[in-house]
Formats: sequence, C-alpha cells, structure tokens
Amino acid sequence: MPELDDELMERYQKGDENAFTLLVRRHQQPLVNFIARFINDRDSAEDLAQETFIRIFKAANRYKSEGAHFKTWMYHIASNLCKNELRNRGRRDRYRVDNVVNSGSDSDGDTEQIDLIASAPANPELQPEIALERKELRNAIQQAISELPEQYRLPLVLRDLQGLSYDEISEVLELRSGTTKSRINRARLMLKEKLKPFI
Amino acid sequence: MNCLQAEEHFSAHLEDTLDYQTLQGFEGHLGECEVCQQEYARFQESVKAVQELPQIEPSPYFMSTLQQRLATEQREPGSVKAIATTSWKQLLDLFRRPKWAFSGIMVLILTVAGTYFYQERPLFDQNPRPVSGTTMSQGEQITTSPETLRIELPRFVRNSRQFAPSDVLSTPTQPMQQRYMLKQVSYTNASTSGGL
Ligand SMILES: [Zn+2]
Repeated sequence: MPELDDELMERYQKGDENAFTLLVRRHQQPLVNFIARFINDRDSAEDLAQETFIRIFKAANRYKSEGAHFKTWMYHIASNLCKNELRNRGRRDRYRVDNVVNSGSDSDGDTEQIDLIASAPANPELQPEIALERKELRNAIQQAISELPEQYRLPLVLRDLQGLSYDEISEVLELRSGTTKSRINRARLMLKEKLKPFI
Repeated sequence: MNCLQAEEHFSAHLEDTLDYQTLQGFEGHLGECEVCQQEYARFQESVKAVQELPQIEPSPYFMSTLQQRLATEQREPGSVKAIATTSWKQLLDLFRRPKWAFSGIMVLILTVAGTYFYQERPLFDQNPRPVSGTTMSQGEQITTSPETLRIELPRFVRNSRQFAPSDVLSTPTQPMQQRYMLKQVSYTNASTSGGL
C-alpha cells in the first residue's frame, strides 16, 4: 500500500515518531530478505537494512510523496548501499561470501535453520530427506543467484524474490522499461543454465 | 521466429504480456521445436524454484538495535561509532582471507619465538659474546652491557633533560628496549615471508 507509506512518511515529517516505527515494521522483513539474497550474506544484511532506514530517517525532510514512492525509494537506497558494500569488499571478501554459501549447516546455520523450518513438509515420515533435498536445492539456487553479474542479479532479486512490478524495478534502478524486462529475462536464462544439474 | 528470438520472449510468455502477433509466432515456434519446448519447461521450473525460496527474517533485535543507532545518530550526526565498527569489521574480515591469516599467524609465531629466544638466551649462554654486526648480537649487547647501549642511543635521548641517561638506561627499561627490537625483527621477517 504505497498510500499508507506516504501518509506515514508525511506524519513522520510532521514530528510523529511513531509513524517511522510503523514504516520500519512494515518493511524490515522484505528489506532484510532483499539485501541478504542480493549480497548473499545474512549477517551484513541486517546491518545494511538498518543503515537504509537511517538514511531514510536522515533524508526524511527531502522526501516528497508526489511522484516518488516510499517502497521504490527504499529499495533504491538499499541497492546503492549494497553495491557500495560489494565494491568495498571486492576480491578481499570473495572467500567469505563463497564460504557462506558452500558450507553446510555450520556457518550459515541461522539462515538455513529458518529455511528448514519455513518449508518443512507436513508429513513427518518424509521430513528429513525432503528437507535435506530442498536445502541442497536452495543452496544451489542461492549460489547461482550470487554468481550472476550484479546488473542482472539486482533486477532478478527485485522481481522474483521481492515481487516488485517491472515499473517499480525500473524506478528503483533508474532504467528504461525495455532494459529492465530484457535484463530480467537474461538473468532467468542464466539461472536456468546454472541450475541445469538440479532442475 | 528462431530459437534465439523465442528465448527472448520466455519471461513475457510466462507472465502473459505478449501481444497477439508475437504470441502467435512464439507458440508457432515452440509447436515445432522440441529443444525450445524443453528449455522453456526448465525456464519455468527454475523461475518457480527461485520464487519459492523462503523469506529471510530479521532478528528479534532488529528494531531495538535500529532505535539505538538512530539515537546515536541524533546525538552525534555522522556517528564515529558506526564508522569505527565498520573499520574493525573490515579489519577482521581481512584476516579471514587465507593469505592474510597466514601472514598474521607468521607475525605471531615470529614474535612469540623471538620473545622466547631473547628471554631464554642468557640461561643457555652465560658469557657475553663480543660485538658483531648482526641485529641479534646488538640485542644481546643490550641485555649484557648498558654501557655499549649508551653509545648507540640517538642524540636526542642522550641529551634529554627530562629523562636523565641513568633513567633511560636503568634496569626496568631494558625489557622495553628488547621488545622494540623484537617487533622490528618480526615485522621484517613477516613482510617478506607472508606474501603480500
Ligand atoms: Zn527453438
């Protein structure tokens, strides 16, 4: 509901602190998910999501509800923070990112524990095996996503994991509609190839 | 429509946004191309698999941590704390890299070994040796002969009025001098063997 976000933003601009808390509550989960999936690092995701809200908080006075939408504005700020983070890490952190994805339940315990609980099948007899298979597939998908070039990965995550419309994604990434569509299709084609051994 | 052109329309067909003419062309091609049929089926499956990835939840402390950070920001805009935390994090991350971790361990080993060597040496070698050109011999001289050290000290230390030469060269300060030498030795060795 972009209208409610805009109203909350306006209220916050007028000094209603509670409005900002409500905004955070509404968007914290999708934002953490977006960042974690995009940069493939759950630990830093929370930190960057908070940083996004701090930027929003600081720039609140400049926010104009006409034209811009809160959600696309938020993803725009978060995307830039993520890109900066990835650039700063560069090759230095390559080892760590790979490690997070490739390791079993030890080092990425938090994420995968949540994954298992969230998608565990109802039938208790089938539970362990299917859960393991699903976990492997999920790891493979996350790995494949993380291997996509940034310019394809970003619109793909916004579309297929965050469920944004093509228009919203174009707004977030400041791209023409045609470019957004072709990048998402290209990203999906690349993923299909990467996931060939699994699907 | 050929295979490459058909591939360009996979997403649009999946999301039902093709115009009539393109739809006809696309479905016409798929009707007679088995490869594209299979590829499109796999495309649909992989998109579905991605869309079904579970949502990652924020920790229960998300809001409280954010509120703390915001309070800090309000008190001191452009918070130093946040920057400091990041650089420490970055420094720690740096040593997660095998090469850097190795260098770190080498420095540690050399420092420990050096300290051990300097501390243990007099126990094994009671008689002071004559002066030689190496760093280690100089270190030995520091422990055994304060008189020699006095000569080697920089002019500003010798002429200092705040610290009398006798204070500088008194027994309690000798270990500090030793440690300073050890650090030099360790870093020199580590930087050449650590592979920067
Ligand atoms: Zn074909």
